[in-house]
Amino acid sequence: MTAWLVRRLAAAIAIVFAVVTITFVLIHLAPGTPFGADEQHQQDPEVIARLVRQFGLDQPLPVQYVLYLRNLLRGELGQSFSQHRPVADAIADTIPPTLTLAGAALVVDFAIGLALGVYQAVRPRRFGDIVLGNVALFFHSLPTFWLGLVLLLVFGQWLHVFPVGGMRDPVLCPSVTSARCLGDVVWHLALPALTLGLVGAAGTARYQRAAMLEVVGEDYVRTARAKGLGERRVLLVHALRNALLPFITLIGLAFPFLLTGAVLVETVFAWPGMGRLSVGAIFQRDYPLVTGAALVATGAVVLGSVLADVLYAVADPRLRAPGGAR
Amino acid sequence: MAFTRPPVRLPAHVALVGVVLVALTGCERRRGCAGDYCGTLVFAAAGEPDILLPPVTQQQYALDIFGQVFLKLADLGLSQNTIGDEDFQPRLAQRWEWDDPLTLVFHLDPRARWQDGQSVTAADVAFTFDIYTDSLVNSPFRSSLRTISAVTTRDSLTAVFRFHARYPEMFYDAVNHMHILPAHLLRPVPRSQWRSAAFGRAPVGDGPYRFVVWKAGESVELTADSTFFLGRPHIRRLIWRFTPNLQVAVTQVIAGDADAVEVLGPPDNVKRAQVAANLALYPYRGELYGFLAFNLSTNGDTTKPHPLFGDRQLRRALAMAVDREGLRKSVWGDLAQVPPGPLARLWSIWDPETRQLPYDTAQAARMLTWLGWRDSNGDGIRDRDGQPLAFRILVPTTSALRRQYAVLLQEQFRRIGADVQLDEVEFGVFDGRTQAGRFDAAVIARQADPTPTSSLPQVWTTAGRSNAGRYASPVFDRLVDQASAAPRRDAAKALWRRAIETLNQDAPAVFLYAPDNVAAVNRRVTDVVIRPDDYWALVRTWRIPADQLTDRDRAEP
Repeated sequence: MTAWLVRRLAAAIAIVFAVVTITFVLIHLAPGTPFGADEQHQQDPEVIARLVRQFGLDQPLPVQYVLYLRNLLRGELGQSFSQHRPVADAIADTIPPTLTLAGAALVVDFAIGLALGVYQAVRPRRFGDIVLGNVALFFHSLPTFWLGLVLLLVFGQWLHVFPVGGMRDPVLCPSVTSARCLGDVVWHLALPALTLGLVGAAGTARYQRAAMLEVVGEDYVRTARAKGLGERRVLLVHALRNALLPFITLIGLAFPFLLTGAVLVETVFAWPGMGRLSVGAIFQRDYPLVTGAALVATGAVVLGSVLADVLYAVADPRLRAPGGAR
Repeated sequence: MAFTRPPVRLPAHVALVGVVLVALTGCERRRGCAGDYCGTLVFAAAGEPDILLPPVTQQQYALDIFGQVFLKLADLGLSQNTIGDEDFQPRLAQRWEWDDPLTLVFHLDPRARWQDGQSVTAADVAFTFDIYTDSLVNSPFRSSLRTISAVTTRDSLTAVFRFHARYPEMFYDAVNHMHILPAHLLRPVPRSQWRSAAFGRAPVGDGPYRFVVWKAGESVELTADSTFFLGRPHIRRLIWRFTPNLQVAVTQVIAGDADAVEVLGPPDNVKRAQVAANLALYPYRGELYGFLAFNLSTNGDTTKPHPLFGDRQLRRALAMAVDREGLRKSVWGDLAQVPPGPLARLWSIWDPETRQLPYDTAQAARMLTWLGWRDSNGDGIRDRDGQPLAFRILVPTTSALRRQYAVLLQEQFRRIGADVQLDEVEFGVFDGRTQAGRFDAAVIARQADPTPTSSLPQVWTTAGRSNAGRYASPVFDRLVDQASAAPRRDAAKALWRRAIETLNQDAPAVFLYAPDNVAAVNRRVTDVVIRPDDYWALVRTWRIPADQLTDRDRAEP
């Protein structure tokens, strides 16, 4: 197990390194300049030239890369060109909102996905299963940004049930108690979490349905029924518990989906997370911020994957047996 | 299979959590602001400031916010006259006089205080000039101050500006580019580190509003300085709420999640806001103009003339083939005008009588034929010496309006036998290619300063740093120099008109639109006045009448 873990971590570090390298090269090769004009103002070429020198962008790309890696090893992600502050600070500000959104979306995703999957599995190939299966497929096929825009339009602008973007009401929050402000955050969170969660839940439901169908025919489920246990207990305690094992992997897989999905959803809902930060950084050619965000996102995804593997190994004794974990 | 549902009981700990939550929610701080100095105004911003430190940024939202925190020596008046000093309003400077034609003396208002209690002094003014002109700080405004040779102090409340030469907009240059900074707080910041100074995320100023908090990605909050020496602002809190794009910002204002947006932008947004009962719209003169620039140099090689657009007659023919008025109506409706040259609505030199090339497709076709461009093979595209009359228009994907213009132009050029293809690229790519001259033609929009003296030469003279199309005319350059040096407004206006007519005859571009801006502000706000060059400059005089205050206005921060 230890050797496996070490191998897994080494692979994870290699993946992160590779992604950082590719991101660094691609963003530097992309046309455009970080200090050029914005939509409103032209920039003085002399000012641009000085900034280019100041940030070392006049150096050959390999030299810039080596300097970047050297700083990275010291724990420095550099200065953001567009935010005029350390990249680490800019990213740190966005991690809690992104985790909040991803966490809430994960709850929506798994709560709905699990319930639908189990419901469909106990009624296989019947009307309810077929209808829900198609509904799930419909949601799974929707682009997150489109669903987000529709929800925003209907519930935000037309019905005024939910706010039109943002993470909290800037007027209300400083004036009320923490609990009420928390409630306001939850209210702002509802639509973006639902957008991300619904699209994910469709996939989760299909996955869970298949897993349940696989275990309901197993001997131990038949034994439980033969012992006279109630159907609910048989399904929820005996079948579902075993069908949940692959779910751990699903959590690992869901995390990258949530992070990438959040890029668009955060932009649509003005959610101040890493996704929105990354989009802005890419358009502004903020090289250090783009590379830093890619590093953190890749690190999180890889770590999530390693964690899921470890949990899986802990949960399933067969994988801990010699030769079991590969 | 049936089973018995167990009786539902609320576990004790769940009930306890519920009680605590209800109690916490109930313990809200008392709300109670009443009278003339309450009110909270939320601005929806389609972006976020980069830093709130005036010398190192020219980003619009940064300017909106630090314009409330820091003062200039004097402000441009509503007339927007930049010549002389008679139309400027005193701010930090109580009064000023000219010692001689090259020496301008400002007397600071002795009541002015930094928000940490220190007095504002002439040393702050000298320090500010030093910072703005320091190459290490690398301010984008540095080149605008090159005509000022020195700023010194005569006493603690007297600052003296010395100029290299005499010209009509000396006063404008002295006061318009610099927000005065607190030397006692900023002197310790190393000059090379100003771009990332911590002060820029928590500034201390001398203006009508104090900085409260900046929540990254969300909002910036300011609060009124009740002791502000030029008069207590009526609206107590200002909050800028950041959104990723203008559509969301406008939607927030319509939905009542925000109170104001400075520019509604495209006509669709204006139509949406017009039907919102909670909003009042305020049109004001715009500082933008858009045009189709012809690249007079070869695409990718600025040393050679462009095979098509190097020919003045061909450019004139193409310019005459464009129905600019029709395009304007189709794209903008009544929200823009066709500019009579490279002119923004904001400029006082706007003159509809300026001579321009007419819209005349018959004449355009005759000129093309005369130049040898004929449709020799009947495919609808003119050609000459085996080369088709074909070029590409570069347009940024970020602007739906400019993309719309590009498509319409493509069709209008097709009608006179020109084959036009569109290159739609992301804005960073667009900017890079226009700066490097890697395009045939491009739909460009330029944001203008309050005066043509800085903006126009930058974009259209031979030495202009943003002269994307490489237009070069010694006659135009000379007229621009003369106009910039004209001592009186009427003389300047006549010279500008001659310069623009010269440029129009050379047709280095087709001038397509100059929009008026429209701001939307919640109806409960009164006394709204918007200054075209600095949208929220007069917010401290806006008010929300006591009978219009909402719970949000009264909320105690």
